[in-house]
Amino acid sequence: MGLVDSGKMPKKITTVLNMARKYSLWCYQWGLACCAIEMGVAFAGPRYDVMRLGVIPFPASPRQADLVIVSGTLTDKMAPALRRLYEQMPDPKYVISMGSCANCGGPYWDSYSVTKGVDQIIPVDVYVPGCPPRPEALLEGITLLQERILNEDPTDRWKGDPIVVG
Amino acid sequence: MPRDDRREAILARISEHLGDAVVGSHIRVGDDLWVRVTREAWPEAAEVAQKRLGCHFFDFLSAIDWLPSPFGRDMDSQEDIVVKGLEPKEPAPMASGYAGGDTRFQVFARVYHPVEHWGVTFKADLPDDDLSVGTWSNVYRGANWHERETHEMFGFDFVGHPNLIKLYLPIDFEGYPLRKDFPLLSRRVKPWPGIVDVEPMPGEDEPGDGDGEGEGGSE
Repeated sequence: MGLVDSGKMPKKITTVLNMARKYSLWCYQWGLACCAIEMGVAFAGPRYDVMRLGVIPFPASPRQADLVIVSGTLTDKMAPALRRLYEQMPDPKYVISMGSCANCGGPYWDSYSVTKGVDQIIPVDVYVPGCPPRPEALLEGITLLQERILNEDPTDRWKGDPIVVG
Repeated sequence: MPRDDRREAILARISEHLGDAVVGSHIRVGDDLWVRVTREAWPEAAEVAQKRLGCHFFDFLSAIDWLPSPFGRDMDSQEDIVVKGLEPKEPAPMASGYAGGDTRFQVFARVYHPVEHWGVTFKADLPDDDLSVGTWSNVYRGANWHERETHEMFGFDFVGHPNLIKLYLPIDFEGYPLRKDFPLLSRRVKPWPGIVDVEPMPGEDEPGDGDGEGEGGSE
C-alpha cells in the first residue's frame, strides 16, 4: 500500500481502517496453564462473551491471527515454540500477556524451568495482571488494546519501528 | 502398641519371595508399609509385587535426596536474620527416612493392590558414585515416564530403559534440578522475602506485624 508506508494516508481513512481492524481481532489463544481456563471462560462462555467486542477466538492457524494472548506459565522448553509461532503471525500483530506467570514469571519466579515473563521472548502490548485475572480483567485488557489500535499510526507499524504510546 | 497384622502378613510374604534382599522395613500401623530392598533386587521387587502379590496399580516412582540443603534452610534463615537478627542456620546432619538407608540417594516406588486395597512403597539405596539401577518399565509400563523424569531431575541411570531422554527440561539443560545442591539462581540473586508483608493483615496497623506468619517458619 503506497499511501500507508509513505505516510500520506489521510487521517480519517486511517481511523476507519483502524476501527475495522480493532473490531475484528482474530485471537490466537496461547493457553498454557490456569489462566487458560479463565481465558476459556471469557472466550467460550456466554457470560463474559468476548465476541461482543469483535474478538473471534478461532483462527485456524497463527497465519490467520491478529492477536495472541499468552496465558499461563511459559517454560524454557516452550519458549522457542512461542517465538516460532509468533513469527508466523502476519503483521500487524498484537500480544496480550495474561496473568502473572506470563507477565513476569509470577509465583514461579524462582523455578529452574520458567521463563520469567513472555516479554523476554516476544514484544508485549498489554499486560493483564492477576493470578488468574478475572475474565472481566482480560476483557478490559482487550478493550485497552482496541483503544491503542484505534489511535495507532499504521505508517510506524509498516516501518517496523517499536510502537510508542504517547 | 497396636499391631498391624495385615501389613505384617504382607511383609512376611514379601520377605518370603525376596529373601535377603529385604534390608529394612517400616509399618505405620493402620496406614502404610515401606520396604527397603537392595539395589540388585530392585527389578525383582517389581516382579514380586506385580506377579506374585498382585499389585497391579503402579502409583509412582521417584527419588529422594537426603542431603541437607547446602544453602541452609533458606526461608527460615531469612526469618531469623530479618526478625531476630541471628546468624543463618547451619544445615542439619544427613538423616534418613522410613525403613532406614545409608546413602544420599534412594529410589523409591509405590504400588497398590486394587482388590485387597493395600499399598507398599519400595525403596533402594544407591551409592553416590554409581547412580544406576534396573528399570521397572518392563514390568510396570507406567514406570517408563517416571523413570525418565527421575533421570532428568536427579541424574539416575535406569538400566534397560528404552528411551532415557529428557522429558520436561530443554534438551540442552545442564544439571539435575531436584538435587539438593542445585542452586535456584533466582533465589540466589534475590532471596525470598518470606515474612515481609506489604499489606497489613486485617486487625493490624503496620505491615510485618504479628509473628511473621508468612512463608517462613516451620516450628
